[in-house]
Amino acid sequence: MKVNLAGMKSVAVPKKERRSGAVDAPLLEVRNVSMAFGVLTVLNGVSFSVPVGNILVMIGPNGAGKSTLLKLISGLLPLQEGEVWFRQKRLNRIAPHRIASLGITQLFQDIQLFSNMSVIENVMVGCHLRAKADFMSSGLRLPRARVDEQSVLATAMSQLSLVGLEQKAWANPGSLSWGQQKLVGLARALATGSELLLLDEPYSGLLTVEVDKLNQLILELQRQGITTLIVEHLTDILMGIANQVIVLDHGEKIAEGTPAEVQHNKRVIDAYLGSEQMADEGS
Amino acid sequence: MDFSVALQIFLSGLNLGCIYAALGLGFFVIYSVTRVLNLAQGEFVMLGGMLTVSFYTMGIPLFSSILLSVVITALAGAGLYRFIIYPARKSSGMTKVFLTLGCAFIIEGIALRVWGWEFRSLPAFFNTSSIHLWEATIFGQTPWVIGITLLMVIGLFFFFGHTIQGKAMRACADEPLGARMMGISIERMALFSFVLAAGLGAIVGALITPLTMTSYSMGLPLTAKGVLAAFVGGITRVEGVILGGLVYGMIEAITAGVIPGGYHSVIALAILVSVLLYRRRGILLTAGKG
Amino acid sequence: MLVSIQNIREIPKKVASTNRQYLAVGIFAMLMLTIPLGAGVYPNTVMVEVGFYSIVTMGLILVMGFAGQISLGHAALFGCGAYVSGILTTQYHFSPWLALFLAAVFTGGVAAIVGRAMFRMHGLILAGVTLALNLVFFHLISSLSDLTGGAMGMMNIPPLSLGGFTSQNLLFNYYLLWIIAILLLMFSLNLANSRVGRALRSLNAYAGGSEDAAQVLGVNIMKYKVWVFVLSAVYASIAGSIYAHYTRIIEPGTFMLQFSALVALMAIIGGRSSPWGAFLGAGLIVGIRQLLQEFIPALVGGPSGSYELIAYGIILVVALLFLPQGLFPIVQKAMPKKKAIMS
Repeated sequence: MKVNLAGMKSVAVPKKERRSGAVDAPLLEVRNVSMAFGVLTVLNGVSFSVPVGNILVMIGPNGAGKSTLLKLISGLLPLQEGEVWFRQKRLNRIAPHRIASLGITQLFQDIQLFSNMSVIENVMVGCHLRAKADFMSSGLRLPRARVDEQSVLATAMSQLSLVGLEQKAWANPGSLSWGQQKLVGLARALATGSELLLLDEPYSGLLTVEVDKLNQLILELQRQGITTLIVEHLTDILMGIANQVIVLDHGEKIAEGTPAEVQHNKRVIDAYLGSEQMADEGS
Repeated sequence: MDFSVALQIFLSGLNLGCIYAALGLGFFVIYSVTRVLNLAQGEFVMLGGMLTVSFYTMGIPLFSSILLSVVITALAGAGLYRFIIYPARKSSGMTKVFLTLGCAFIIEGIALRVWGWEFRSLPAFFNTSSIHLWEATIFGQTPWVIGITLLMVIGLFFFFGHTIQGKAMRACADEPLGARMMGISIERMALFSFVLAAGLGAIVGALITPLTMTSYSMGLPLTAKGVLAAFVGGITRVEGVILGGLVYGMIEAITAGVIPGGYHSVIALAILVSVLLYRRRGILLTAGKG
Repeated sequence: MLVSIQNIREIPKKVASTNRQYLAVGIFAMLMLTIPLGAGVYPNTVMVEVGFYSIVTMGLILVMGFAGQISLGHAALFGCGAYVSGILTTQYHFSPWLALFLAAVFTGGVAAIVGRAMFRMHGLILAGVTLALNLVFFHLISSLSDLTGGAMGMMNIPPLSLGGFTSQNLLFNYYLLWIIAILLLMFSLNLANSRVGRALRSLNAYAGGSEDAAQVLGVNIMKYKVWVFVLSAVYASIAGSIYAHYTRIIEPGTFMLQFSALVALMAIIGGRSSPWGAFLGAGLIVGIRQLLQEFIPALVGGPSGSYELIAYGIILVVALLFLPQGLFPIVQKAMPKKKAIMS
């Protein structure tokens, strides 16, 4: 898929065309998902659905199973019980890289940038699915591979510009601040062109000004039609941008609704009573 | 197949199995404390054998020779840790594995310089050349092999599984942060594991020299087989390593007895590698979080 | 957000670095291809040895240095190429060139099958399995004595020939080997700087990559691990086939654990981060061997082989402790350049 250099304004380009008849159907559906590690039940019958273009925030005290749920959706953990449906297709024990090719990607809490390559090369790995150059065509440096490489570089540069870090393109990831690394991780995830972004505690370790920037970026992505699923345990920041909030506690969904509805839900308040301290200190 | 042949195979398998189990235990000890794969382990075995032969031919009594060689080899193990592994403690696992390989080269080179190319041998302990048991004939060395291996296995099993010291050592690799917070000195545990593994290796070397002669180059093949045996059973648990060794020995004995020609080694190895590939974490630790 | 003019100027930087790579390859090629005309038999023989090791090591660097998978079994792949070539030419009277090609296909196929199974495992266990592969190969070759000559080895392997020259001729071998080595170098460098190279590096858990992150970005980690292993097998097989026709006698002892360990050593000392490291590592080790063989017998007693082993061990340990990235980064820094990118 070639990228038009002149059209780099709209940088978050979803790879798959949305089918016109399916506008009302949810993008993601989680049905009755449970997960246990030995005797420890981490998730218990969690179900929800996410419409296209939503910003869903999943909150809950630590250990509530939120990160596990993200890994189940992105395929890094195999589903034990329950189903995950994406664009009306069931994701049935598919390898993570294939799930990525369907349009889902994840940004980890600890980012996991590749420290053995420069910042721009990190983002270029994000473009992996956009190119087709394989061993033979790359090794022989066929014209097709060279063209791919140029367009991948251009796409990656534009993603990096979106997060404002094009100056650091050739830097070593280790030399960046935590907040900058987070943004690079986001750029890398966006480079995949995925329609569904899974963000695992993206705000941890960010300064206030960085938090604002991230919020702006996520809202901009929503304008471009990208659906975001954010897991967090800091609550106040997110209520501003979320359309949909789900609260997990001990692996079960205890509340779902708009931010306002959830904030006044008694069960949620009870669950957080013990973790209130942590939530406050965390921000 | 008649009884005597079956018995012969069984005893031979037991003999081999114990050797492989003891070899594997050396890897286990270091791996369980430090997560380092010690490619020099086979060299420790070789040293144990060669040193014992040298001392014995100088006139020193057999068991004192063995003791001396164990001590010297244990010192070599300590040296490997202190001067090679410890300085690199912050490096990656690949680096540490290749550091042990470098050490293996050095030891092999020194062995070649000191002892030359010849094969050396020892008489069986107490000069029992062969024993007749029911209708089978086994090497006189075999009871020693089995007996001492059994002692080692039982000792290590209890030590790592049931003593505080042993559990502390395993904690060093499983939960380094927690271990440090409990006041455990990871460095001392690691040093001890290298010394222990080297000593064990030396004992194995002395044990097998009467059966298969030693030479300077036997280190690497022993390492290869020992690693395979250790991983096949599941390297993070003592029972796994022992099981792996016994399985390897049995398979080799059975294929040697049953399959004509020289193919038995290949088949045995192929079976083993297949087991490993099928049960990726070893027989005892099945797939999933082990 | 439009890309600023500054960025547009930066983009050609990547193309420039590739051009500079080609320049370096060109200079290197000119050097390697003209020197033998002036040098004598002895240096050329040594250089042929370096050539063999370099090719195998280059493949190994792609596996270990890029994808971060430990392989201590490349002697088996080298030997596989040698033996298949030998068998096809002595028993079935194939043309040596055809045999070379078929051997590469066969070895690659074996590597694909073994790799598919092997890479379902992670970490150090690979070291163990690849070590065991050496043993399997060795015993297999020794057992199939009708085909392979068993422990005695295979003899009278016909030489390669092209346009009147045969591999009886030292220079013929030299040029054949080094032209192939340089072509493979270019191939490897192209690969390193491409989408494939980045995908491989993203897998390297030992050097800062992350398999999880790679997967969620769409990298099929199994496919890349297996394919790079197959590629390295093909490199080793080509070298092995040429070796068989060069020495015309092959025996199992050449393809043992020591060889696998030695090429792994060369890969690490030379520098895992770049295919260039293969030449540095091979050159250094063979150079040391020659030096020791020259001087040791005169100075001290004992077989020179022992000092070689000790020297290799010490160099490996010292390199890993003080130069964990190998020699190549040092050479790289000494070169005049504008900006250092992963080459």
